[in-house]
Amino acid sequence: MTFAVACAVTDVPADEALGVTLGDLDVAIARDGDEFFAVQDLCSHAAVALSEGEVESCTIECWLHGSKFDLRTGKPMTYPATEPVATFPVEVRDGSVFVDTTTTLNGVTPS
Amino acid sequence: MGLQISSHLHPDSSFDLVDHPVPTGREEVWRFTPLKRLRGLHDDVPLDGDGFDVKFELPEGVTSHGVEAATSDRGASGFVPTDRVAARVWAESPYVRTIDIPADADVSEPVVITVTGTGAAAPIARQVLVRAGAHSRATVVLRYEGSATWADTVEIVVGNGANLTYVTIQDWADDAVHHSTQRALVGRDASLKHVAITFGGDVVRHDVTGTYSGPGGSIEMLGLYFADAGQHVEHRLFVDHNEPRTKSNVVYKGALQGERAHTVWIGNVLIRKEAEGIETYEENRNLVLSDGCQADSVPNLEIETGEIEGAGHASATARFDDEQLFYLRSRGVSEKEARRLVVHGFFNDLIRKIDVPQLEDQLVATVEAELAKNVLAEGTL
Repeated sequence: MTFAVACAVTDVPADEALGVTLGDLDVAIARDGDEFFAVQDLCSHAAVALSEGEVESCTIECWLHGSKFDLRTGKPMTYPATEPVATFPVEVRDGSVFVDTTTTLNGVTPS
Repeated sequence: MGLQISSHLHPDSSFDLVDHPVPTGREEVWRFTPLKRLRGLHDDVPLDGDGFDVKFELPEGVTSHGVEAATSDRGASGFVPTDRVAARVWAESPYVRTIDIPADADVSEPVVITVTGTGAAAPIARQVLVRAGAHSRATVVLRYEGSATWADTVEIVVGNGANLTYVTIQDWADDAVHHSTQRALVGRDASLKHVAITFGGDVVRHDVTGTYSGPGGSIEMLGLYFADAGQHVEHRLFVDHNEPRTKSNVVYKGALQGERAHTVWIGNVLIRKEAEGIETYEENRNLVLSDGCQADSVPNLEIETGEIEGAGHASATARFDDEQLFYLRSRGVSEKEARRLVVHGFFNDLIRKIDVPQLEDQLVATVEAELAKNVLAEGTL
């Protein structure tokens, strides 16, 4: 487990995700209240950054075709996406968000 | 702006880089391509690498030269870049590799040029111009091996009545990136057989256009590809029927195996108003050998005249046919052997059509080696 600092807690808006690059990976950081999540910043349907979409009640929406993904599990809740996106462990320490991109929570290999 | 093509699928062509903004991935021609894995070829990474070796096998009569780009005859096929990578190659390639087959020559041995990349760190831009003189007959094979980040343009000019077989083999190492834009101009009553064989490389994206400079020409485009885990193999074919009584036939067959193996096949044919009496057919078949692969296949036809002999296309993507396997097993063939036979049957009839005896054995062997990696490994399917 290697956690790296991704952003400050205050950088993440309530209704949108924040796109960050950690190593080789683009990650979308989102929040549901005070809980923080990190998913790979790439829709599993077409090559679109999820961080450009809206966040609402623990889901993130891909703006291009409207697929919604559960931030907790990475699973798509609406079509056209059918495959889950990778989710990463998140820790909040002293007002900063730390993400570990070397492990995935849902077993999906980041593409 | 350069030559305008009245095809909906092709952006306007231009030599000026300003006309080709950096793609976002949302454009029709780029929407299948993983731009992040192109190592900046589509952006502005310098294309001044030269990390490769090249070996020439030139039969008697065939000449090949490296000509400085500015003084070369490049553009002889009517080539005008339609995307940013091609425009960048045009601007940055230091020289043009020419291959000339003299008029009336009948060359029985193939011309073989083998390019071996020696490292993918510095991207390389190169241009090739193949000219087959009037009424000549020859086979030209361009083989890519090793590791490189390679962007090229290839022009093929087939003289009146000539018969040319052009084979491009992508047998790259796993970390290679290859972007190629090719244009063929086929003369009156001439025929071109264009063959693309892709086994290796991380990302391979080929965009091939065939067009005619006189009536009666014929273009056959054959393709064979094998995508392994994580590989992206993209072939975009376009035949522009701009002359009457011309023919085209496109057959691409591919197999996919392993997690995130991705193949893309875009076939397009434009039948212009003046192209009366033409005949065209295009077909793509994909065999999905394991879970987790993706095959995109999009055949298109743009028809501006109905006064033609025939036009059609077909596309199919499927896994093993259980009935074929069952039949073979009912004859006492083991399951493993049955799978091997089905894949061989799938490719063999294409390999026969390629009809370059010097390559045949090697192609069958490569298909076998690819199969050994997955399909024939224990415990799959």
